[in-house]
Amino acid sequence: MASAIHPSDPLAADGRGWRLAGRLYMAVGYFFLVLPIATMIVFSFQKGQFASIPGQGWTFQWYGKLFDDGTLLAALLNSLIVSPLAATGACVLGFLAAYSIHRFRFWGRGAFSVLLVLPVLIPPLILGVAFLGLLSRIGLQGQLSSVILTHMVVITAPAMAVIQLRLGQMPSSLEEAAWDLGATQFQTLYKVVLPFALPGIAGGWLLAFTFSFDEFIIAWFVSGFEQTLPVAVYAYIVGSVDPSLNAVGSIVFALSMLSLIGVELLLFPILLSQYRSGDD
Amino acid sequence: MNVISDIAAPQVDLELRGIAKNFGDFVALEHVDLSIERGEFVAIMGPSGCGKTTLLRIVAGLESMSSGQLLLRGQDISALPVHKRSTRLVWQNFALFPHLNVRQNIAFGLTLGRHDKAAVKAKVDEIAELVQLGQFLDRRVSQLSGGQKQRVGIARALVTEPEILLLDEPLSALDAHLRIRMQSEMKRLQQRLGLSFLYVTHNQSEAFSMADRVVVMNKGRIEQYGPPEEIYTRPRTHFVAEFVGSNNIFDGKVVDMQDGLIRVQCADAIISAAAGERPPGKGSTVSLVVQADKVRSSPIGMPGENMLGAVLSGREFTGSQVIYYLETASGGEVKMVAQEPFSQTGRAAINMAMQLYWSPADTVVLRPNIVPGVENMPGRHSYVALGT
Amino acid sequence: MVAADVPQSIPTGVPEAAATAGLNSLKAVGIGVPLLYSLTFFAAPLVFLVVLGFWLVEDFQVVPALSLDNYLDIAEHMFAKSNYALAIAQSLWVALTTAFFAVLVCYPMVLAIVYVAPRSRHRLLLMLAVAPFWSSYVLRLFSWQILLANKGIVNSGLAWAGFENLQFKLLYTQIATRIGLIHYLAPILIVVLYVTVANIDRHLIQAARDLGATRWQAFRRVILPMSRTGLLVSTSFAAIVSFGDVLSGALLGGGAGASVLGSVPLFSNMIMSEYASSTNLPRTAALAMILVLVMVLMLAGGAALAERTKVDAG
Repeated sequence: MASAIHPSDPLAADGRGWRLAGRLYMAVGYFFLVLPIATMIVFSFQKGQFASIPGQGWTFQWYGKLFDDGTLLAALLNSLIVSPLAATGACVLGFLAAYSIHRFRFWGRGAFSVLLVLPVLIPPLILGVAFLGLLSRIGLQGQLSSVILTHMVVITAPAMAVIQLRLGQMPSSLEEAAWDLGATQFQTLYKVVLPFALPGIAGGWLLAFTFSFDEFIIAWFVSGFEQTLPVAVYAYIVGSVDPSLNAVGSIVFALSMLSLIGVELLLFPILLSQYRSGDD
Repeated sequence: MNVISDIAAPQVDLELRGIAKNFGDFVALEHVDLSIERGEFVAIMGPSGCGKTTLLRIVAGLESMSSGQLLLRGQDISALPVHKRSTRLVWQNFALFPHLNVRQNIAFGLTLGRHDKAAVKAKVDEIAELVQLGQFLDRRVSQLSGGQKQRVGIARALVTEPEILLLDEPLSALDAHLRIRMQSEMKRLQQRLGLSFLYVTHNQSEAFSMADRVVVMNKGRIEQYGPPEEIYTRPRTHFVAEFVGSNNIFDGKVVDMQDGLIRVQCADAIISAAAGERPPGKGSTVSLVVQADKVRSSPIGMPGENMLGAVLSGREFTGSQVIYYLETASGGEVKMVAQEPFSQTGRAAINMAMQLYWSPADTVVLRPNIVPGVENMPGRHSYVALGT
Repeated sequence: MVAADVPQSIPTGVPEAAATAGLNSLKAVGIGVPLLYSLTFFAAPLVFLVVLGFWLVEDFQVVPALSLDNYLDIAEHMFAKSNYALAIAQSLWVALTTAFFAVLVCYPMVLAIVYVAPRSRHRLLLMLAVAPFWSSYVLRLFSWQILLANKGIVNSGLAWAGFENLQFKLLYTQIATRIGLIHYLAPILIVVLYVTVANIDRHLIQAARDLGATRWQAFRRVILPMSRTGLLVSTSFAAIVSFGDVLSGALLGGGAGASVLGSVPLFSNMIMSEYASSTNLPRTAALAMILVLVMVLMLAGGAALAERTKVDAG
């Protein structure tokens, strides 16, 4: 039975039931998404070694244990060296590539961008084996630098994608105006294009950082004894049940909330709305 | 009047020689010659796609040309890259740098090389005063209105002391009211600086009100180049006659010629026109042009005037004038512009029959002229005016 | 004799130089640096991976060779001992079902965000949806472990609340593997599907409703067909990621998690654990090549299927 009245918003008024179902579904969905993170935070402060309900009282002992032990902290430190450097390298490569694709017409332009995006489409397990294969031939395996170099391959694509989106919002007249006023190519790049692309570069950096910080299998293959955080955590989990991991997880989550605020400020405006360049 | 400058040959600021531009098979510009004298305001006008913006971008160095030569104050700049040319462009979309404030935008061109900060500041202040931006220098460009943004665009170009200013539809992003104010402001600025302006627009009134000379372009070619009055009253080609103002065009064959007048058999009447210096031969096909505001309606005409009977089919009140649309017996349309509402019979009624009169002296003769390069395109011919 | 190859036209005017002077060095750097990096650290390892599969290990040393030994040995164990074929089947089964359920779960979520939540809330809801992505995947899996363990949080909570008969054994089954994967995939799928669904012009839905379509019909006839590309992309993305993932299978599936196919490890887990125990890189490379092959076949099959449904629908 179609109702006689068709409200201007097709999804208003007579769809009470649907709307209620939608709300309920969203609630369940977000509960599922948040559940493991909430668990992590709550049980990092719980006494028992084996988490269960009802709880066994509150404690800071797992955070204390974490700082006494040191392996996970060392790994966290390694990750905090690897990921920022890899993200920075990826942004340099990503910006150069994005700008070239945006600015120049050249033979093999399509193939060039495919080559740069391809690493995210190949399972990291395969890349991990391949990276280790080559790096071990040239004696570069088992160092932090090998993780940085290989992570850069994988995280350049997301950084480039965000920078490309931002460059796409730049009117071509902006560069031409700079040339017309007497700026050389490099001056234009430095004084006009880079400042314009900055939000995109920052957003791309955050995304690249996150991918690197969370990357497991490539690091597992190439890092050797210089474990990054995910590799160390994995070894820990396989070895034992230790609520210290919850403590690490909570710390990581707190850190990542900071970057999430950055994402909200930098990445979302570029991804979701027509970012106004302010020049017209 | 300065006697010496009257005697000396006018100095040419910019000279275009045989500029052509192809995009693949598409001919954007076809052998364009143009020269602009020192301190002259030249407007290039034409429909979109006529090549006017491409021409401007070639002068600026933003577009390469397929062939031709560019001379700026006598120097060949054809091979100079864009950033080494002393031409400056003012943009339709302003193209202000969003990350810089007004002062930094204006100073951009001055701070590229080694520079004296105090001198730059003084220059920016001076130019900002000139374009009335003095109190906005510390604003972000996103906080400015459209008119203010374009003032920044102009100041940014002027501060680098260009030898010619190129303007690409600089007012088309502004609303009508502001546009008219900016027009007179720009004209005054140009006269005060004595700087040559090459101004691209698709807006006829803009071109006519500001320019010393107007270029009418169509399909990559210059159709006519002259003072606005000449373009308006003496269109040289069929295209110009149709593009400019509201002209009536009648096609016909020359039947005879006497007393400096040619008589042309058109669909509805025989129309007389001034023959000019090189009158078309008897029997040749010509087009006659008469401006809509030269046509009158009255019961009796003056001796020797052209006369045409037509029926009123519509009227348009535009404020300062009324445009009447009339239909002739053969179905052709005639436009008539009157400065005030039709007074002879009060309000003219639709379907009313009228007698239209105009003088042969106001009738311009065009003759079909095969355009070079398009001979083999059937049905494509353009008209070039005879005489003056 | 006039040489035919003498240029007839007089070189006129100015070539591109005028407009593009100074661009060339920039162009060289802009294209050259990323290209060189990509060739050295991406293309070269992949090419070398192929080569490495033919090399051998002698006296714990990798030695160059042109041998099919690795592949022959793997073929021998396809249906025996290691049972690679079963592991591949397990991987395919888990990856495809995971992709199916992940999209099945996320699509209604996106529909609810786009059509039920007010527009001003969209951004907040998306932020919430991607928040888990910004916490560590390994640690989230650990959290799922303590949630799903036989005496874990959920089961102990059920017992505490008096629902002892509702307790379940999920950990170290492939169902747990799928839960971990879906939780990992959900943020990405929600963003991809949101972009698809949010870009459907609302006027089209209004037009359908105005023409008398019910809500369900508007969904069936307008929204769903227009989401098709997004759904295909996200399903294949989810399948590829699931197929190549090692963590969920190892931590939640317990290495050899049970499924309808029996307690068989995922192929990816098998590669990882074989390398961990033997450090035989050439053999691992050969196994990786097989994974690539299966994945390409899976994608080709998926593309063929998508093409067929498109023909059917049209």
